[in-house]
Amino acid sequence: MTMAAAPDLLVARNVCKTFFEPTRGEDVEALRDVTVAVRPHEFVSVIGPSGCGKSTFLRIVAGLDRPTAGEILVEGRPVVGPGADRGMVFQEYALLPWKTTRANVEFGLRLKGVPRGERARIAGRFIDLVGLTGFENRYPHHLSGGMRQRAAVARVLAVNPTVLLMDEPFAAVDAMTRQRLQEELAAIAAAERTTVLFVTHAIEEAVFLSDRVVVLSGRPGRIIADMTIALPRPRVWAALAQDAAFVDFRERLTRLIHTGGAPVGGHA
Amino acid sequence: MTVAAIPLRRLAATRLGWLADLLPFAVGVAVWQILSALEIWPRVLFPSPAEVFRAFVADIRSGVLPFNLGVSLRSLGIGFVVGAAIAVPLGYLMGLSRASRRFFDPLVNLLQAIPGLAWIPFAILWFGLGQGAVTFIIVMSVFFPVLHNLLTGIRMVQPVLIEAVQTLGAGRAAVIAHVIFPATLPNLMTGIRLGIAFGFRSLVGGEMIASTDGIGYAIFNAQQYFQSARIVVGMLAIGITWLVMDRVVLRPIEQRTTMRWGLMREGIERV
Ligand SMILES: Nc1ncnc2c1ncn2[C@@H]1O[C@H](COP(=O)(O)OP(=O)(O)OP(=O)(O)O)[C@@H](O)[C@H]1O
Ligand SMILES: [Mg+2]
Repeated sequence: MTMAAAPDLLVARNVCKTFFEPTRGEDVEALRDVTVAVRPHEFVSVIGPSGCGKSTFLRIVAGLDRPTAGEILVEGRPVVGPGADRGMVFQEYALLPWKTTRANVEFGLRLKGVPRGERARIAGRFIDLVGLTGFENRYPHHLSGGMRQRAAVARVLAVNPTVLLMDEPFAAVDAMTRQRLQEELAAIAAAERTTVLFVTHAIEEAVFLSDRVVVLSGRPGRIIADMTIALPRPRVWAALAQDAAFVDFRERLTRLIHTGGAPVGGHA
Repeated sequence: MTVAAIPLRRLAATRLGWLADLLPFAVGVAVWQILSALEIWPRVLFPSPAEVFRAFVADIRSGVLPFNLGVSLRSLGIGFVVGAAIAVPLGYLMGLSRASRRFFDPLVNLLQAIPGLAWIPFAILWFGLGQGAVTFIIVMSVFFPVLHNLLTGIRMVQPVLIEAVQTLGAGRAAVIAHVIFPATLPNLMTGIRLGIAFGFRSLVGGEMIASTDGIGYAIFNAQQYFQSARIVVGMLAIGITWLVMDRVVLRPIEQRTTMRWGLMREGIERV
């Protein structure tokens, strides 16, 4: 990151995180020296084995956790806490149980002071987009796991954040729905020109969605590769699944994760 | 239990559902009637349902029961409102600020185990004999269960819900209004229930010692004259009052909030 370049929207600079584990009475190093830069409208995925610090990294970007060292910059300003410019979809949905689907999706807009009619229109559009039309008046405990996840995605999309943070948002949905949601997310992100930082441990998902894939090693998470996914958009599974370039990216990333990154210099 | 449960549930689903609601009371009265008919104990020690019913009607006709009930409910109402009005804001303050928690927690714990009734001597010295003293000990009895349950509720709020709304742009006020308050509602309702229940205890005990009016005094007074049926009338008046409050106020609130949101259920049948 020299001074001349850097039209980066989001920069994570030398982020380190060490947790103190009270039950074991010792420190756990979760992230070591993670540096990532995301350009406007870019879709970047972070992949890595379970427990490598992906969620921790996203939480630090969201401003929910403080890094032990390093910093996060959004549009050049250091992140000091959570804010609507970095909306997050959590691994555990985190819908408000006392609000209906519609009220959950409208919630961020309501906080922004968007007038009622406008709110309903925007929320309706995103509810439709994630396929929850007809379930607007249900409370979360009457939605299926996959529906809850989709509602959580719609809730954040409605706010139109500068950077959309997503922590394995499709982990709990069935394979078919998952592919449909991935296609829709890719299309929405492209149409809305959303900048997305996406965490997953599904390699295919990362390749399908992303402009770039950042690979973290096992704990402590360090960056072992940063691969540009040069595949044309729009992306649809029917065309990509058998595509030679797609398969090649997938295989290279799989090897990287399995070898832990060391010998295979897989930079694109 | 299971044997009776099936037809009961079917009955409850029909328009005659209220019959199912009355059944437990009918059984209770029947058992009571049988026991008193056996005359195991002298009648003054174990009045029959019929005697109690006659005393009940007489006490309503004479206006004694409505008057005493009115006096008692007024003390209970004022005591509850004052106790809760201090406990609820203090609970949210303690739950949301470490400094206030560190200050108030030791004081609260010091006073928590002291029964409301233990305040009676001072209540009489400060407020004189009468409903003022009774109301004071009701305040002391309502305060702690409401505060304690609310604090437990605040401690149990899922952090991820707070974090999620923070990334949607929620500040402190929005987090409190849209996450912490609704999330603590089940515990707040439990605190209110216990507060009222503890309030009733202190009410009756307080009136026996410190007052010359109210249901508690009426029970005490009836005992002085061996009017055992009137003792039962007083006891039943308290029970019925609670039942009505529960059905008319507390349960509908819960059905419209915590149960509707899936935070609480009627019970667990499928085990
Ligand atoms: N609050 C915390 N306190 C202590 N240790 C923590 C805390 N949060 C995370 N960790 C530890 O940090 C490491 C990284 O956790 P993290 O949740 O970021 O992993 P992850 O890559 O998201 O895993 P997964 O793919 O399973 O979701 C783990 O070893 C975890 O135990
Ligand atoms: Mg995770």
